[in-house]
Amino acid sequence: MGKILMKGNEAIGEAAIRAGCLNYFAYPITPQSEVAEYLSWRMPEVGGVFLQGESEVAVGYMLFGAAGAGERVFTTSSSPGISLMSEAISYIAAAQLPAVFVNIIRGGPGLGGILPSQGDYFQATKGGGHGDYRLLVMAPASVQETAEMVMQAFPLAEKYRNPVMILGDGLIGQMMEPVEFPDHLRTAPSNKDEWASSGMSTRGSSRRNLVKSLFLDPETLNNQNLLLKAKYDRMKREEVRYEGYNLQGDYRVLIVSYGTMSRVCRTAVDNLKAQGLEVGLLRPQTLFPFPERAIREAAGKSTCRAVISIEMSMGQMVEDVERSVRGIRSVHWYGKCGGDVPTPEEIMEVVRDLDDGGCQTPGCICDKE
Amino acid sequence: MSLVRKDIVVIVGNYGSGKTEVAINLAVYHRRAGFSVSVADLDLVNPYFRTREARRPLEALGVRVVLPPDRYLTADLPILDPAVAGLIRRPSQVTILDAGGNDVGATVLASLNHVLAAASVEMLQVVNPFRPFTETVEGCQRIRAQIEAAARLPVAGWIGNAHLMDETTPQDLMEGYRFVTTLAERSGLPLRCVTAPVHLAAGLPRDQWTCPLLPIERQLVPPWRRPLSLTPAR
Repeated sequence: MGKILMKGNEAIGEAAIRAGCLNYFAYPITPQSEVAEYLSWRMPEVGGVFLQGESEVAVGYMLFGAAGAGERVFTTSSSPGISLMSEAISYIAAAQLPAVFVNIIRGGPGLGGILPSQGDYFQATKGGGHGDYRLLVMAPASVQETAEMVMQAFPLAEKYRNPVMILGDGLIGQMMEPVEFPDHLRTAPSNKDEWASSGMSTRGSSRRNLVKSLFLDPETLNNQNLLLKAKYDRMKREEVRYEGYNLQGDYRVLIVSYGTMSRVCRTAVDNLKAQGLEVGLLRPQTLFPFPERAIREAAGKSTCRAVISIEMSMGQMVEDVERSVRGIRSVHWYGKCGGDVPTPEEIMEVVRDLDDGGCQTPGCICDKE
Repeated sequence: MSLVRKDIVVIVGNYGSGKTEVAINLAVYHRRAGFSVSVADLDLVNPYFRTREARRPLEALGVRVVLPPDRYLTADLPILDPAVAGLIRRPSQVTILDAGGNDVGATVLASLNHVLAAASVEMLQVVNPFRPFTETVEGCQRIRAQIEAAARLPVAGWIGNAHLMDETTPQDLMEGYRFVTTLAERSGLPLRCVTAPVHLAAGLPRDQWTCPLLPIERQLVPPWRRPLSLTPAR
């Protein structure tokens, strides 16, 4: 099949089906509603289920229940909707069930706005819900990458028996680009016999699969958390993904940026290169696990004077960048989160200032003592 | 030469068919040809990639752009400016109404039925065969029927808008042309024009084509790209 032109939101829906997920529970919210619209007719066409919940709280528990029964499940929402699902996400992680969540972020906090934002970085990577859980978080920068990450998310969720989140901003959902769905990413049969509470006779097993998250005994609960931690540590070893751009040259400033914001940065890097200033760009494709070592190594290049996190938020990822750089270079932040995406020209100016040894961004973390 | 047959042309189509980019470029085409031109954004469905993003370059060319008031520009509220009804009653030489996607987006037209009924108006459906739902003649016809029912207006003709954004090749455009000519034949509706990205337009075998070509100077771009600058004459 050749390429077709799809909105990110449509590609998300189609990718899930191609990956073998036939259970979609959701509640509409701008700027993600086209996923629900697309799947409202596409799911019945392929014999799947689309159920609109009465709220995102209900949707979260629909996922929990269906995942517990061994079904491949996913949902899509936008920021406030993910907040409502966060309790269920914690339960699903605790019960070690696979599920895929897509957050097409809108501006926040509160009702915020409906334009692009990356303000849910903390929510996704540090836990919107309670307890010591982590999500495996992937951040696509194009419609093609969105489709591929959605297809990869299901086997990853099953490998770790843990929720996986695709984090995109409003542009990822709304923009149109050519896309194709690679056959090799079609998902193999699920490992559900290891965990689904689907009846021992149906799977011909003498093993009890119990879905639970209540562990009243302190030692048992501590062991349960150690077990979860071991999975998150394994993610850190095996699932870190990032992309470098112009990292071969003798760059003087290193930009760290993800999602569609990184594409604006890429244009800025090209323009600055044409003007004689070498700038490197490192784009995390996984936000948890975070490419800490890659960033530290890139920051350590002898020509590199400063590192800057550019994000559509008031400085969230920059905390992980600072943690990764471990003080070997000065770390800065630039961002906006009202819905206007910073332009290549704005970024060029900020980077030129850093190269001159100054930082003009009000509120940058370098201001603090 | 005008590409449209009536004072008012309503642009409809399925989501992402390219209605807005076509509406903007139709406005530019006719303004450059010396017509007085107005364009109104009737998209009440989708808050991203709308006519409003090309407001300044269009106004610089002398195109009248009718949008909701500034303070509502980024709200996902179904606001229809009363100025639209006024525009329909007193149209420019070429007046373009850019409706929202699918039948849902076209529903707004039914609410303007009382003014549209008295006007000289035609509704044109934009088709991109590289989009889901409109890759077959049947798919285009199904969307047409849904839009006609919601808008309470008949589709008077097709605008072929085959493309794959930056990856569009001349072969894609040829394939798209063949598709829309088949669509026109089988639907009994005329093919009003076919679009092509401006940088590919010159290389096309236009002498073999039976309809006018509308060059597209892309205005609705993501933030890492610049729209093509619109000059008064090309």
